[in-house]
Amino acid sequence: MSVNKLAYYPGCPSEGTAMEQHMSTEAVFEKLGVELVEVEDWNCCGAAEVEDPKLLYALNARNLAIAEKEDLDIVTPCSICYYNLERSNKALKADEALRTQLKGIDSSLDYNGKIKTKHVLDVFVNDIGLDEISSKLEKKVNVKVAPYYGCYIGRPPETAFDDPDNPVLMDKLIELIGGEIVPFNYMKTVCCGGPLMMTRGDIAFDMARKILDVAKNAGADCISLACPLCGMMLDGKQADIEKALGVTIGLPVIYITQLLGLALGIEPNKLGLNKNAVDTKEILGKVV
Amino acid sequence: MPIKTWELDPNFKNEIMSEAGGEHLASCFQCSTCTLGCPITEIIPSYNPRKIIQMSLLGMREEVLSNPDLWVCLICQTCTARCPQDVRIADVLGVLRRIAEREEEAGNLKIDSPRPLFDKAFQHQLKKFGRLYDMGLAMEYYPKKEGSFIKGMLAMMKDYKDFGKRMFLKGKMGPLGGGSPVKGMLASKIKQKDVMKKIFEELGEGGKEK
Repeated sequence: MSVNKLAYYPGCPSEGTAMEQHMSTEAVFEKLGVELVEVEDWNCCGAAEVEDPKLLYALNARNLAIAEKEDLDIVTPCSICYYNLERSNKALKADEALRTQLKGIDSSLDYNGKIKTKHVLDVFVNDIGLDEISSKLEKKVNVKVAPYYGCYIGRPPETAFDDPDNPVLMDKLIELIGGEIVPFNYMKTVCCGGPLMMTRGDIAFDMARKILDVAKNAGADCISLACPLCGMMLDGKQADIEKALGVTIGLPVIYITQLLGLALGIEPNKLGLNKNAVDTKEILGKVV
Repeated sequence: MPIKTWELDPNFKNEIMSEAGGEHLASCFQCSTCTLGCPITEIIPSYNPRKIIQMSLLGMREEVLSNPDLWVCLICQTCTARCPQDVRIADVLGVLRRIAEREEEAGNLKIDSPRPLFDKAFQHQLKKFGRLYDMGLAMEYYPKKEGSFIKGMLAMMKDYKDFGKRMFLKGKMGPLGGGSPVKGMLASKIKQKDVMKKIFEELGEGGKEK
């Protein structure tokens, strides 16, 4: 294992709608013996709503600079936060004039380009490694899973850390913990519709429903994911989708950190499994 | 409808290519890979990013900037990932949205989508608090979208009544939820709010650099 301490960037949903992702991320890293140091006084990464690149780089420069002072690489469980941190990191490393300009706005934006930004999936599989994780497993998570990756794990190319068409990092973890992957390949990376939820809810609901339908028809016990916006659409809004479109789905949606936590023998409530909107009890019954 | 060459703006492509994200526009050779892979086309069959790119290259400035399709792009990056010419279509559409927003602010265009209002309301939360404040965002966005406070609140209730209750019962939002008496009801504020203010005053909408 090549990593024992990381700066942790939870992201805004960690305080509310995606608390269970936050709780399970902290619990899993603790169990794996990796210390997480929360980026002190972190600010929002800009999500999908800050489209101006320079404004986005400035917001992320502050978080990067805080982690750099601690001399730690940053890890985040949110795919959108990862995308914004990583592209800002790349832009700032490559452009000294940009760094100078941002430093001129406020000294807290003084980032020297010395750290790396990572997504939790990347850290689990590529830094900690499957062998190390395997040695700490206590239980078998005997569930059929539709692994849903969403947008920013395999796209766009310059920030991606998995295959754009058939990403596999989550599959590897699920198989490692005793789960079975259902046929889901062509849906793995289709957008959940989240970015349009507040402005074109009709389109967003259609898109999320397709993912839920395919997963259910493939025989999945649950969907696994690694992004709080996908979680909001597929889990938080699932009952609204059922009501609006006149369908019955009832499919649990669980963060990969929660599934991994179960296999590591962590108590379900510590992983926030009582906080997912669609009940997770059936899944818990399959952890042996 | 035939294109009227005398109405084209030959400088439009340069305007796009001078903005961050728009640099590769002219590399497009119209293969349509972007459109074939786009998940929106399954829901809106007329949606066509290839066409938007070609119209931009031709200089059809007004038609492009007033095209409502600009505002249903998910920024999912599928087009960008698959483009053989590295046009970075998702980023180009972002540039077009920014130019359209500036034209609307200058009074030259009416955007047929609430998305700019949403993005602005989102950014206002960051400028004020440094983090996303869901309630504040909804309280600002809905009245602007619906045209009045009352209508906005009614629309918000309709969209979020069930969801809010669900989140409350899970302890994620509302009084007594999530380990704090008012979780989600009040903004989570960062200490260095002054830095957010400085960033937005320099680089945000209407900021010094704009």
